[in-house]
Amino acid sequence: MRPVILVLHIIALGLYAVGTALVLAPFAGLRAAPRVLALAIPLLGVGAHVVGLARLTPFVGVAPTLSMLALFLVLLQVASEGLFRASAVGVFTGPLATGLVGLALLIGLAPEGAPPTRGPWSILHITISVLGLAMLALAFIAAALYLLQFRELKARRFGQVFRLFPPLERLDQLNHLSLVLGFPTVTLGVLLGFGVRYAGGASVDAAQVVWGMLTWLVLGWAVGVRVVRHWAGRRAAFASIASFAAVLLVYLALKLTAPGTERFL
Amino acid sequence: MSITVLGVNHRTAPLEVRERFAHGAREIPASLERVLAAGARGGVLLSTCNRTEFYLADPDDAAPEAVWALLSERLGDARRANEYGYMQRDREAVRHLYRVSAGLDSMILGETQIQGQVRDAWEVSKAQAGPALHRLFQSALLVGARVRSETGLAAGAASAPSAAVAVAAKIFTQLAGRSALILGAGDMAELAATCLVSEGVRVTLVANRTYERARAIAEDLQARALTLDEAWEHFADADIVLCSTAAPHTVVTWDRVAPVVARRGGRPLCILDLAVPRDVDPAVAQLENVFLYDIDDLQAVAAQAAAQRRSDIPAAEHIVSEEVERFWAWYGGRAVVPVLKELRDRMERVRADELERALRRMHLTPEDRAQLEHFSHALLNKFLHQPTIALKEAAGAGRGYGLLEALKRLFGLEPRDGA
Repeated sequence: MRPVILVLHIIALGLYAVGTALVLAPFAGLRAAPRVLALAIPLLGVGAHVVGLARLTPFVGVAPTLSMLALFLVLLQVASEGLFRASAVGVFTGPLATGLVGLALLIGLAPEGAPPTRGPWSILHITISVLGLAMLALAFIAAALYLLQFRELKARRFGQVFRLFPPLERLDQLNHLSLVLGFPTVTLGVLLGFGVRYAGGASVDAAQVVWGMLTWLVLGWAVGVRVVRHWAGRRAAFASIASFAAVLLVYLALKLTAPGTERFL
Repeated sequence: MSITVLGVNHRTAPLEVRERFAHGAREIPASLERVLAAGARGGVLLSTCNRTEFYLADPDDAAPEAVWALLSERLGDARRANEYGYMQRDREAVRHLYRVSAGLDSMILGETQIQGQVRDAWEVSKAQAGPALHRLFQSALLVGARVRSETGLAAGAASAPSAAVAVAAKIFTQLAGRSALILGAGDMAELAATCLVSEGVRVTLVANRTYERARAIAEDLQARALTLDEAWEHFADADIVLCSTAAPHTVVTWDRVAPVVARRGGRPLCILDLAVPRDVDPAVAQLENVFLYDIDDLQAVAAQAAAQRRSDIPAAEHIVSEEVERFWAWYGGRAVVPVLKELRDRMERVRADELERALRRMHLTPEDRAQLEHFSHALLNKFLHQPTIALKEAAGAGRGYGLLEALKRLFGLEPRDGA
């Protein structure tokens, strides 16, 4: 692995860890960091991460994908804080992104030897698919935060969740936006993936097609009930969580039963 | 030179006394004029529902008496105002104002309204304040802002009405533009409604058992009046319902509101029950997307915030102490200049007189006279150099006041007006 990639990833890892500590500090009873710091530190990490990740094209292997997913999660975390003042999103995305970068470093970011060739469409497919998954993950996180805040408000508990989580409506809006943007992004990524494979003459496993379609339909249902049937609040949060859980379950099931076919989206 | 504060506050006087001392903005100039006429160079009157305080610059002994006399007249019976009052001087007077401005002396610790009241007092009294009090009040506003930004003294909602706002703000993305329905005409609901209105909530409907009372409140809030029986239908539209009726039993029941709430399409409804005994049947909280809070819940929120604020008192007091020293350094330095000038003028007159007398007895050439004159100037400057430096340094460090008083007494100095 080229040292510069390693160093940049380690810098990103450190900054994400510091950013996560800042997000978690108020939950530990410490004073909240200034907002500008809570935004700037992850963004500095993103800067290092982008440069490091750019040197990993054409993203061969699991580690670069994990690294890219972490990058998008942090970007979405910063966007959530910047646009929705939803710093609590970082409670989930912070440790997750830090863990993913750490895992990518452990696995080894770049395989030894000459990298295989990969066209720009393939790279675009990977990037868009991972971005879509990160958005769906954000929708899941917003839904989980919504349900936690809902429970606390209903139970009249005025602890840290009440004080530090955003208002219910804002979490609902964040969930809505993430789903509505995430689903078309995932769809575009899937279509690009099929296009790239067929254009390259590669075959697609039937299990991948079947499970991919099924999962896509579940995601489509979660978006449909929000957009068409105007579900909101708790019902929409459950739908969002169910759809993301479906993605994870299918991934795990395929990984265990038919290794190699788990990349279905 | 000195600064004095005297008055009463919520700790020293009951409401019945405080409300008699309270001054409207129009009354302030006349009251100040009367006190200043008794002997003071400047004055500011801070009058809120929790305090009436006169801040005086360089008051004569008669000025405090004039304040107590003025306030005693307002009591209107044989009681004397100073029985309820306090007086603080110099550094302690400065500290007092800084603590007031920071919300450290407020009934609700850290409340922010006092900052605006201090600003208003300064604005109203500007013509009579004088330079020292101008500077004092300007700095008090900065100290208040600094304490609030650097500590958690103003964080959270520390009163039940502001807790009502805090709770509603955890349900809705923004309160501005939300509609509120008020049930009943209790004082607490009115207070909470005022807090919500200040956040941009529109009180659209006021319902009461008696229509006339509802109309009186509705007119104040530019809302529509209803009877209670007409109110239930509006649970379908309102975002926030404030309940504060005098009913001895629950009036908002499941049967009355459940069918209406079902028509809301999942939109959240925040019900704030501020009545004792409660107006809302607890079962209503089981309705989907209905969030019900009673007075105990709001007081729990307020108590939490208050506890959090109390933990920040030492940090706030530290800032106040720092700023008191900074002000006092400026104030001491400001007092030093005219006294030093007077000392130098006095010594210069002595030098000139004695030199003139000596020269009359001596027959010296013009060159020798000039030489002697130069010598006397140099000697005077040498004598005055060290005391001048010491006094300026002490003033810069905020310790000049004692030295200055000693100097004035030792040399019989009193700067002339305008100096």
